[in-house]
Amino acid sequence: MAAITFDAVQKTFGGNIGVVALERVDLAIADKEFVAIVGPSGCGKTTCLRLVAGFEFPSAGSVNVDGRRVSGPGPDRAVVFQQFALFPWKTVFANIALGLRNKGVGKDERDKRVAQAIALMNLQGYESAFPHQLSGGMQQRVAIARAYVLDPDVLLMDEPFGALDAQTRTEMQEELVRIARLNPRTVLFITHAVEEAVYLADRVAIMTRRPGRIKEVIDIRSVRMAEKWDRHELIEDVMDLESFIHWRTHIWRSLREEKSGQDR
Amino acid sequence: MSGVPAQRLTRLDAMAYGTVGVILFFGIWSLLSLSGAVPKQFLPTPYDVASRFVQLLSTPFAGATLQQHLASSFMRFAYGFLLGAAVGIPLGLLMGWFRVLDEIVSPVFDALRFIAPIAWVPFAALWFGTGIGGPILIIFAGAFPPCLINTYRGARFVSRPLIEAAQMLGTGNLRIILEVLLPASTASIIAGLRISAGLGWQSLIGAELIVASTGVGFMMVQAQLNMSTATVMSVMVAIGLVGLLIDVALRWIEAAVRQRGFA
Amino acid sequence: MSRRFVIGLTTIVALAALWYVATIPLALISPGRFPSPVDVWISFRQVAFAGYANGLLYQHVLHSLKLVVFGFLVAAGTGVPLGLLMGWSRRAEALINPVFLLIRPIPPLAWIPLAILWLGIGDAAKIMVIWFAAFVPSVINSFTGVRTIEPSIIEAAHMLGTPRYRFITEVLIPASAPMIFTGLRLSLQASWTTLVAAELVGALYGLGRILNVAQQDIYPGMIFVGMACVAVLGWATTRLLAEFETFSLPWIQMAREY
Repeated sequence: MAAITFDAVQKTFGGNIGVVALERVDLAIADKEFVAIVGPSGCGKTTCLRLVAGFEFPSAGSVNVDGRRVSGPGPDRAVVFQQFALFPWKTVFANIALGLRNKGVGKDERDKRVAQAIALMNLQGYESAFPHQLSGGMQQRVAIARAYVLDPDVLLMDEPFGALDAQTRTEMQEELVRIARLNPRTVLFITHAVEEAVYLADRVAIMTRRPGRIKEVIDIRSVRMAEKWDRHELIEDVMDLESFIHWRTHIWRSLREEKSGQDR
Repeated sequence: MSGVPAQRLTRLDAMAYGTVGVILFFGIWSLLSLSGAVPKQFLPTPYDVASRFVQLLSTPFAGATLQQHLASSFMRFAYGFLLGAAVGIPLGLLMGWFRVLDEIVSPVFDALRFIAPIAWVPFAALWFGTGIGGPILIIFAGAFPPCLINTYRGARFVSRPLIEAAQMLGTGNLRIILEVLLPASTASIIAGLRISAGLGWQSLIGAELIVASTGVGFMMVQAQLNMSTATVMSVMVAIGLVGLLIDVALRWIEAAVRQRGFA
Repeated sequence: MSRRFVIGLTTIVALAALWYVATIPLALISPGRFPSPVDVWISFRQVAFAGYANGLLYQHVLHSLKLVVFGFLVAAGTGVPLGLLMGWSRRAEALINPVFLLIRPIPPLAWIPLAILWLGIGDAAKIMVIWFAAFVPSVINSFTGVRTIEPSIIEAAHMLGTPRYRFITEVLIPASAPMIFTGLRLSLQASWTTLVAAELVGALYGLGRILNVAQQDIYPGMIFVGMACVAVLGWATTRLLAEFETFSLPWIQMAREY
């Protein structure tokens, strides 16, 4: 599959008198690695995702996927948006199928793969429903299914659970872990919820406030393996563990430093 | 590539394209006229229209100069428009507050709404002859509905907590209407006024085409009967300009009110 | 039966009764000013069965209807694509907008004398004026429809690798559809207003013609019939459009419009 690299990436918005969103970002994400970026509001973490997605282009440096420079959006880097971005006029099935139709996948193969994605995200029975008939959590499931069905090299998730209520959010986090273990691929996950990042990711990158830089990268995977977090099924049990709390607090403190700098 | 539309044009580029568009427009027009592809009688050149326009400012046509005709038209418009607002806004507020009033007036309003304002011309002529009452009725028919609808919508959909807070403080009905509903609906009311002005101005022109002895509508009819295309077009330009000025004035009021924090 | 419906019905019935009483037994309103219900009925029967202003009612109705529908369709057929184009392409917008802004302030009815000068008092002039009137709201609303599409929808479509043709038909148009329909509603309204005005100024057939002749004949009953027909047809075509909208946009929960 693919690796993502940010090479001395700089991003300024608005020309000469513009805002420097990213000062300098260097980050390498290995194939099939789940990396979360956390940071204070406006630090540029979403911009990082959009650079990989191809919705924006760096002002300096380069963003590469699988060795090649990103030149625009495409189904190889599937995006899950915070606002779901489902097409309200299409049914659940049609929403998920669109990407495959664009790829030229034949009807039978398409129906099969969409059915698989629907089963994966527990959406059985809702194929003919329209997005507005579904709850937020279900809509996001459709969005994830839509991304997964493309079998993308890279999965880009931009605060995907930000618009959901706390309970649904927890459910979705558990779902995501389940799918990620079943079907691992390279994931770039943006969030401002530290616990979510520590729970889900292999590594967590902490960004400074604007103009953004990567301040610190924490290897959670080794901790998770060593402390056997996966032994526990429920999120609340994992979040009770000392090792979890330790790293969560570490990241909180790091972010707090950034925040207080901001309030000056 | 993000959002709509895909490209972003610089200010300069946009102006360049715009200028090209305008030049093309006047260019093709002039060409059609000068080449004789369309007889001069039917399509005078832009220059002809412009000079006729200037001429009409000093030379009377159909009884008065362009400004004088415009003045009569505008007076009628002003009366009708203000009447429409004076009736529409208070009624809209009351209907927004007193459900019963809404239920009584709405069906009647809905029935009359579909009658194009201009369709009132025959009755207006019958009742008012060529007096000023006729055009005012027509303008009112055009200006009243948007005022009413927009005010009503603004008042009905004022956020509940605001009303509940006022009621909790023991505010009487009249006070609530004046001091809660009215300020809260200001944006909607002004939007309604802008639409009203547009419809009212247009209804006036329509009315003057049919029953009038002065005014720009009348002027155009006379010009048409005289086959004076340049005059017709000059008057059209004048009408457009005045309509634009009215809209700009209302937009200015809208912005001023918004600044004061009502909306 | 909801309370609103009951009160509404009562009001209408009360007004109708008032109308009858004021014009016939009490004769408060002179028949030369406003018709009584009986006058209206007589006029209706006349135009429907015997004919008035060179035709039977259904002929006049058909004639007006044909013009409105044709003018509306042409205006929508040209206005919507143009609006969509201007919304999507900043270049197109920059090119066309200034000219559009120059023409726009001129009220559609003000085009009537020019139309008559160019095309006479036949159907062509009417269509031209209707086109001008109905064209503008279609363009503006389609334009706004495109500009107000949620950016993430566009991005999602690109991310999914949607090719251009499919993008236009399956993303751009459905996303702009609600606003396109708002424009169509306004266009239809404008079409009726303009047609009636144009027919009042000069026509051989149509509802406006009925109104015109009735005015000259000082025939209030017929004026009333003409106005009522205009209202009914306006309402009916608007309902038809609304039904078409509901049919085309099954995914929208229609907010009750006042």
